[in-house]
Amino acid sequence: MPCAESMRVQAYFDGEADAVAAADIERHIEGCAECRALLDDLEKLRSALRQELTYETAPPALRARVLRALDAQRPAKWRLQPFWKGAFSGFAGTAIAAGIAFFLLAPPLTNPLLEDLMSAHVRSLMPDHLIDVVSTDKHTVKPWFAGHADVSPVVADFTEQGYRLIGGRADYLDHQRAAVIVYQHGSHIINVFSWAATKDSVPKSTTRNGYHMAFWQAGDLVYCAVSDTGWDELLKLVQLLQRE
Amino acid sequence: MDDRRHRFEALVLPHLDAAYRFARWLTRSPGDADDVVQEAILRAFRGFDALRGSDVKAWLLTIVRNCHLTALKQQQRRAFVPLPEEHDSEDGHAVVAATPDPESASMRRDDQRTLDRLMSALPEEHREVLVLREIEEMDYREIAAVTNVPIGTVMSRLARARAALKARWLQEADRESHAVR
Repeated sequence: MPCAESMRVQAYFDGEADAVAAADIERHIEGCAECRALLDDLEKLRSALRQELTYETAPPALRARVLRALDAQRPAKWRLQPFWKGAFSGFAGTAIAAGIAFFLLAPPLTNPLLEDLMSAHVRSLMPDHLIDVVSTDKHTVKPWFAGHADVSPVVADFTEQGYRLIGGRADYLDHQRAAVIVYQHGSHIINVFSWAATKDSVPKSTTRNGYHMAFWQAGDLVYCAVSDTGWDELLKLVQLLQRE
Repeated sequence: MDDRRHRFEALVLPHLDAAYRFARWLTRSPGDADDVVQEAILRAFRGFDALRGSDVKAWLLTIVRNCHLTALKQQQRRAFVPLPEEHDSEDGHAVVAATPDPESASMRRDDQRTLDRLMSALPEEHREVLVLREIEEMDYREIAAVTNVPIGTVMSRLARARAALKARWLQEADRESHAVR
């Protein structure tokens, strides 16, 4: 049975007691061996935790990733210059940079989901952000999602039809970890996002700021293919995926 | 740099390390911690205009904790819904893009460290109050805000958490001394 004052001793130890209470508690501790032992334990535990517990700091890669994500959030005109440079130096090409400029100068979207998809697509085109798992093999990409996303979408390669599977990625979307399958079609990148369907209706396919966004639902997953490729080319991939 | 972004970086990003540490102790995994922190920073940025007052660190850690709980719920939901085409995962060896992963090495070192291991084994509600109090040096009021419980609950959890960690520590010392003999 611990001493009835143990909570107050802890508060005193944590610097939560005011001067009057502190004096009172100190008097109690003088006469109570149990509370003296408690105070000693608290002190030992604290110094052990502060000295021996691994003290982590945010890895530089995370810091960079966070800053990139912030850049993609609400792009402002002043970011244009570094952005262009980044887009040209990476594997993203001219068409992509033009698309980003379009996005930067365009008014914000109304539906937050559309906005998120746009940001995620644009962010993915930045250097080193497109792909987490590099593979042209669906048997590699699909299981990778099991550990990194909340859904397990249809994954297939359509190289013969002109849509080459180049990898996969996980993205936060609608408060879940969406699975993103990345295709290359000519010089264009197509991101196929997929996430668990909610009660909200599936948005209508639309074109925003030069990007086409094709939505469809299959089973309990919602898919959205985003690209600056032409509508016909995008819809052809959608049909191929729907047939899988 | 636009003013809002500038203020965000000046006020919130100094707490990125604390956010990451807290996320590490909540998720117990470097990869998940990265994801939680990124989501938290984005949410914080979106909600930045609503931030009033001074306690930025407690505000950010509250968001980190909420992001962690959301991610956890989704993981649990996934665990109960068997996904089709399970067999696909048998033959797959994911080739993860060769980005440097400095955390994984330190994570392995972590595992070997007794106190880290004992902390990891504590229930989450014990772990979080201990980290907030002893590592982040927050006061009861701040801890109550982050963990969304009354101050009285913070006090009793803290007492239980400390007692539990001490008990495990003694057990460990006991086992080690038996092993030596």
